[in-house]
Amino acid sequence: MNALLGRNAVLLGLLACMAGVITLAFGLRRGEDRLLKAGRTYTWLILGAAVIAVAAMERALITHDFSLSYVAQNGGRQVPLMFTISTMWGALAGSILLWTLVLALYITAVAVKFRKRAADPLVAWATLVMFTVAAFFFALMLGPANPFTKVSGAIPLNGPGPNPLLQDHPLMVIHPPMLYAGYVGFTVPFAFAVAALVTGRLGEGWLLETRRWTLLAWGFLTVGIVLGGWWSYQVLGWGGFWAWDPVENASFLPWLTGTAFLHSVMVQERRGMLRVWNLSLLLATFSLTILGTFLTRSGVIDSVHSFTESAIGPWILTFFVAVLAVSIGLIGWRGDRLRSPGAIDSPISREGAFLANNLLFAAFAFVVLLGTVFPLLVAAINGNQITIGGPYFNEMTEPIVFCLLFLMAVAPALPWRKASPELLRQRLLIPAWAAGLTLVLCVALGLRGGWDTLACFALGAFAAAAALRQLILSTRRSMADGAGPWRGIVGRANGGMIVHLGVVVIAVAFAASAAYGVRTEFSMQPGQSESVAGHRVTFLGLHTVQHANRTSLVADVRVDGGQVYTPQISNYPADPGGGIGTPSVRSTPVDDVYLTIAIAPQKPGDPTVIGVTVQPLIMWLWVGGALMALGTLLAIAPGRRRRPVMPASAPVHDVARPDDGGRQLRLPAGTSAAVEVRGT
Amino acid sequence: MSERSDGQPGLSAAGAAAGAGAGVGAGVGPRRRRRTALYSALALGLVMTAFVGVLATRKSAMDRQARSPLLGLVAPPIVGTGIVDGAPFNLSSLLGKYVLVNFFASWCIPCQQEQPQLVKFATEPGGLTAVVGVLFSDTPGPAKAFMLANGGTWPVLDDPDGQLALSYGVRGPPESYLLNPDGIVLAKFIGGVDADRLEQLVTEASSGGSSS
Repeated sequence: MNALLGRNAVLLGLLACMAGVITLAFGLRRGEDRLLKAGRTYTWLILGAAVIAVAAMERALITHDFSLSYVAQNGGRQVPLMFTISTMWGALAGSILLWTLVLALYITAVAVKFRKRAADPLVAWATLVMFTVAAFFFALMLGPANPFTKVSGAIPLNGPGPNPLLQDHPLMVIHPPMLYAGYVGFTVPFAFAVAALVTGRLGEGWLLETRRWTLLAWGFLTVGIVLGGWWSYQVLGWGGFWAWDPVENASFLPWLTGTAFLHSVMVQERRGMLRVWNLSLLLATFSLTILGTFLTRSGVIDSVHSFTESAIGPWILTFFVAVLAVSIGLIGWRGDRLRSPGAIDSPISREGAFLANNLLFAAFAFVVLLGTVFPLLVAAINGNQITIGGPYFNEMTEPIVFCLLFLMAVAPALPWRKASPELLRQRLLIPAWAAGLTLVLCVALGLRGGWDTLACFALGAFAAAAALRQLILSTRRSMADGAGPWRGIVGRANGGMIVHLGVVVIAVAFAASAAYGVRTEFSMQPGQSESVAGHRVTFLGLHTVQHANRTSLVADVRVDGGQVYTPQISNYPADPGGGIGTPSVRSTPVDDVYLTIAIAPQKPGDPTVIGVTVQPLIMWLWVGGALMALGTLLAIAPGRRRRPVMPASAPVHDVARPDDGGRQLRLPAGTSAAVEVRGT
Repeated sequence: MSERSDGQPGLSAAGAAAGAGAGVGAGVGPRRRRRTALYSALALGLVMTAFVGVLATRKSAMDRQARSPLLGLVAPPIVGTGIVDGAPFNLSSLLGKYVLVNFFASWCIPCQQEQPQLVKFATEPGGLTAVVGVLFSDTPGPAKAFMLANGGTWPVLDDPDGQLALSYGVRGPPESYLLNPDGIVLAKFIGGVDADRLEQLVTEASSGGSSS
């Protein structure tokens, strides 16, 4: 029943995608608006199919329908309901199902947003591209990643449940959907980029429309990545949050190119430059999501997260080749004709800073991509098995991060076109003081650690002060305009400054935890106390707790004479691989005390080995992530510039951009065009 | 395209800008440094072709040899009673043969899919190869039915408390370990195995070639 429903829904989805593509293609070819509008309506069919398929899968999981092999392999009666629901994205076939649902939701959102422009060839082309991508994922589910295959032979009475690591923490429920919302969301700007290249309409119109979609996807991806780090910290028990694992890199790569785009797109909006470059960034971002999917799903790279199923590999690789061919082909075919006029007047200008920012992000992405696939390349050339670890990534990316922090401080202070030294001096005075004072303070407090840690703190202060200065100025300005202080933090530029603050917080926390973390193990008897990094841990004893899906050995550890924390080792009956450790963390804004059971006693009377990791400022990583998410939301929210004021009749200061310090009263491209249209 | 925009009252300013911007973009573009995008695209295309070539020729997860601390060491002993025939079994009785120790479960679909490969390997001509099955999170009843339904006459042992899986470092079925005639672990496979690949490894090992 569930299998039948699900399989037919997938089939329906595939057919709807294909019918939509064909209808739109005919409509575009013949220029018939009627066909274009008809093609768009397949969106609802696709959404319906995806929802039904997901509902069938969830129903099968929740009712323990072990006739589905996916449920038989990943479900289990002993699994709590929350993790039974999240089992859908705990293994390969189900994760493709989630991907398809998210994609269908995005397609629907685009269709609703552009419902009045369904007959516009640009929108029709974008819809066609999205339908094609959706068709691929539906086809995957009919082919190698079919979530609805039935078990052959007798129907099992129970299943093993998902991988124990995936039923250990509520973050596992929320982290993958967030990541997918980000990953899949880049399909929308990709589709519009392809549409813009095909139709040759490289004006700024489609950019304004898709910038927010990119921002939305980027925001989800940011949250997904931070939650992934949090999950890794809370669950994996090694005390870290980022390991440059191929799966992490796969999510980080599109984030890097997406970030580059979000910055350079402002140059295009403002100066009309970098058009082809911006398109290339969007195409690259989507290509990288598909490449990342291939790397992590095909098993060509060893990773802690990799799915051990293979038949999907050639399919995704073929799709990757198709995406690349379309992207590169379109750029090669159209690129030169669409290049924009104009050049950057002075490197010391806002657009110059954005260009430097883009080069840095491109270098960042290249370094990460190279490190991720280098083992593959070496194996292909001379057959050697090598691994690229954290040191490569840390050393290679550190200077890039420093340059980016520096740019983050300087760029908001730079005016468009050309900066004068006096202006820069005035705008950078306070941030420079902040950086200097931070450095002096660090040295005066006798902080140990290398020059790079201190440099990171100083640059962080520099960038944070610059961002705060912008926020204060814009808040003051909006209060002077009578718009209320909150207007000063809404909108792209102001939201962006809050994102910058989040980045600074994360960078500082990252550097501090790397430089000042202490990791040790104590072999302890009940009642014994040990001290580490100014914290006193007292081991009180062990006890066993029986849960529905696992048996846990729990250690009671008192930290600093206060609350008792309980690191544990859980044995899942379905997974005899030695037990899964669960850390317990005492988190404060100053530092985290991270407790694990390193070695459980083998026989009564043996000491218990408790692992203790003390790292400063860890909590600020998550706070920084939240700041970034908040900033993204504020940047998506309509700012002052986008208030529905009639630009022609509005007072000039109302349409001037808040991000240029209010000094240049130039109309944005969109408004001036609107004025022209109304004039005709 | 701007004629569609003109005169529609509900249209956003941005939509109109699409038309206006496109006019500018199409008009002025192609004068300076004409071929940059084309040449960049060609160069990138070449690099990407090579890259995809590398990706496409990599071994996939199927028949993937995995790292294991056991490689090159003597395999942990397996002693017990076969669940299908009830006969006592000791892994050391298979010294002198290439043995594939296969951890599986009757509920595991990839295990079902790899069973024909195991049968093929177990019945290679020459009698130099053997397979041993070990249950992973499974009970003898369904496993016995699985063996009868899917073929395979090799000894299968129960592992009720997971000690064997623990000693081999098995994370999930199917996982297999190839042992040489001296009982040394040659390779570990995560996911299904491929009989031809196994045969190739056996040939390499017996001809004195280095094992991986």
